[in-house]
Amino acid sequence: MIEYAGWHMPVWYKTISDEHLAVRNAAGIFDISHMGRLHITGPDAANLLQKVTSNDISLLNPLAGQYSVVCNENGGIKDDVTTFKQGQEDFLLVCNAANRDKILAWVKTNAAGNVRIDDLTEQIPMFALQGPLAQRILQRVVEGDLSLVKRWKCAFTKIQGESVLVTRTGYTGEDGFEIYSMGNTASPTQRALKTWTAILNAGKNEGILPCGLGARDSLRLEAGYPLYGNEIEEDVNPFEAKLDFAVKLEKPASFNGKEPLTKVKGDGLKRVRVGIKLLERGSPRKDYPISVDGEQIGKVTSGLLSPLTGEAVGMGYVDAAHSGEGVRVEVGIRDRNVKAEIRKWPFYDEKRYGFRREIAK
Amino acid sequence: MSETKFQVPDGLYYSKDHEYAKVEGSRVRVGITDYAQESLHDVVYVELPQLQKEVKQSVSIGAVESVKAASDLFAPVSGKVLEVNKRLEDEPELVNKDPYGEGWIAVIEPSGLKEDLAKLMDAQKYSEYLKGLGK
Repeated sequence: MIEYAGWHMPVWYKTISDEHLAVRNAAGIFDISHMGRLHITGPDAANLLQKVTSNDISLLNPLAGQYSVVCNENGGIKDDVTTFKQGQEDFLLVCNAANRDKILAWVKTNAAGNVRIDDLTEQIPMFALQGPLAQRILQRVVEGDLSLVKRWKCAFTKIQGESVLVTRTGYTGEDGFEIYSMGNTASPTQRALKTWTAILNAGKNEGILPCGLGARDSLRLEAGYPLYGNEIEEDVNPFEAKLDFAVKLEKPASFNGKEPLTKVKGDGLKRVRVGIKLLERGSPRKDYPISVDGEQIGKVTSGLLSPLTGEAVGMGYVDAAHSGEGVRVEVGIRDRNVKAEIRKWPFYDEKRYGFRREIAK
Repeated sequence: MSETKFQVPDGLYYSKDHEYAKVEGSRVRVGITDYAQESLHDVVYVELPQLQKEVKQSVSIGAVESVKAASDLFAPVSGKVLEVNKRLEDEPELVNKDPYGEGWIAVIEPSGLKEDLAKLMDAQKYSEYLKGLGK
C-alpha cells in the first residue's frame, strides 16, 4: 500500500504481471475512486467546459463522453480529463487525483453566468472493469443491454439496486467500462463494497483479478497512453504530446490556450512524444537519456518490461528531427548505452490485444 | 533478536542498501535481502555484474528490475567478480522465490574482507535497521 495523492492505495493485490495479463486476457477490476469527479451543471455548464477543455463539447450528445486536455494560458497541459454529458446541462468532468484541487480551482476561476460546480469525488465511488471479458462479466450484474453502449458512450443502470453510471471507457487499451456508483440509499463506502464485490463475484469463473496502481500504470504505458507527471505536464503542449485528436482549434468557442496552441501548430514542433523499444537487454526508466551518435536528443518519461511481450518499451520526448518510426537511438542505462529504436504505440499486437482486437476471447 | 516479518538469516552480513554478503571460505556470495526482493516485488530482469571485474564496496555493479522499478545492486564488499548466477537471465523470479539461496547474484573474491565486513551489519543489527525503517 502507498500514499497516492492523499489516498491509501495498493500497488498490487497479487503481482503486477498477473494483474496485467488478466486484463489483456480476461478481465481486471480497479478501484479508481481516487480520480477527481466534478459535477458541472446549469445553463452555462457547456460554455464553461468549452472554455476550460480543448476538445469540442458541442459535439457531445447526451450519454456520451470525450477525452480532452485542460490547458493553461500558455497552452501547456494542466491535466488530461474525460468529460461526460449526462444531460443537456449536466456534465461530469473526471480529472487525475493529484490535480483535483488545482482543476477544481481552475474551473471555478473560469466559471461565468449560471453554472454550478460540485466536487463529488467522495460521494461517487468509481471502478474500472477492463479486459476482453468485461462486457460479459458486467452484464451479469447490470440491467439493460451493455452491447448497446458503444465506446465513449454511457448509460445509467443499476447494480444490486444502486444507481450507477457506466461508461465504455478505460485506461488500459482494452475494451471495458468505468462504473460510477451514483446511488442514494447507502453510504459511499457501502456502495463501493457492494459494487466491487458484485463485479468480482460475477467474474470469478473467468479469471477476473483485482488490480492495483502498478498494473494500471503498466497497462496504460503498453497502450501508449500518457500519464500526468510523466508524459504530460504544465510545460508540455498537447501537440508535442501527440494528443492532437483532443484539440479542436476550430471549435465555435474560444478556450484557454487557443492562441499559443495555434502558434505552435503554425511554427511546428521542437520535440515530440515517441514510443521506444530497446533492442538489447535492459529496461528504460523515467529520465534516462536518449541519444543519437553520442548526442542527447531527449529522455525517457516512462518505461517497463512488458509482462505481455517481454519487451523493454517506454515513452519519451525526442527532438522532432529524430522522431520517425524506426529511427535508431541509444538509451543511457547507468553506465551503458543500450541500442533502441523509435516505434509507435501500442506495444502489443492490435490484432490479438486491445479494444480493436480481431480475435475475440 | 528484534522482530521483523522479513527473513534475516544469522551469519550473513548486510548493507544499508539491502544487499547481503555470505562468507564461504575465501569467497563471498552476494545477493539482495528478503526485504529488498519483497519491496521490488516481481523481479523481471537482473543485470548481472561483469565477470572478473574489480569492484569496490558500495559501488553499483548491476541492477535488479521489476515491472515498475529499477534498483541498483551495490557491491557489499570490494574484490573481483568470480561468478555470476547465469540462471537469473532466464529465471529472474528466483530472486523473489529464494533470495538467500538459488536467487544469489554473484560471488566475489574479496580484497579487504575484514575492513569491509566491519562496515556491514550482522543479522541482529540489520533486523533493527529494518525495524527503524518501519518494516
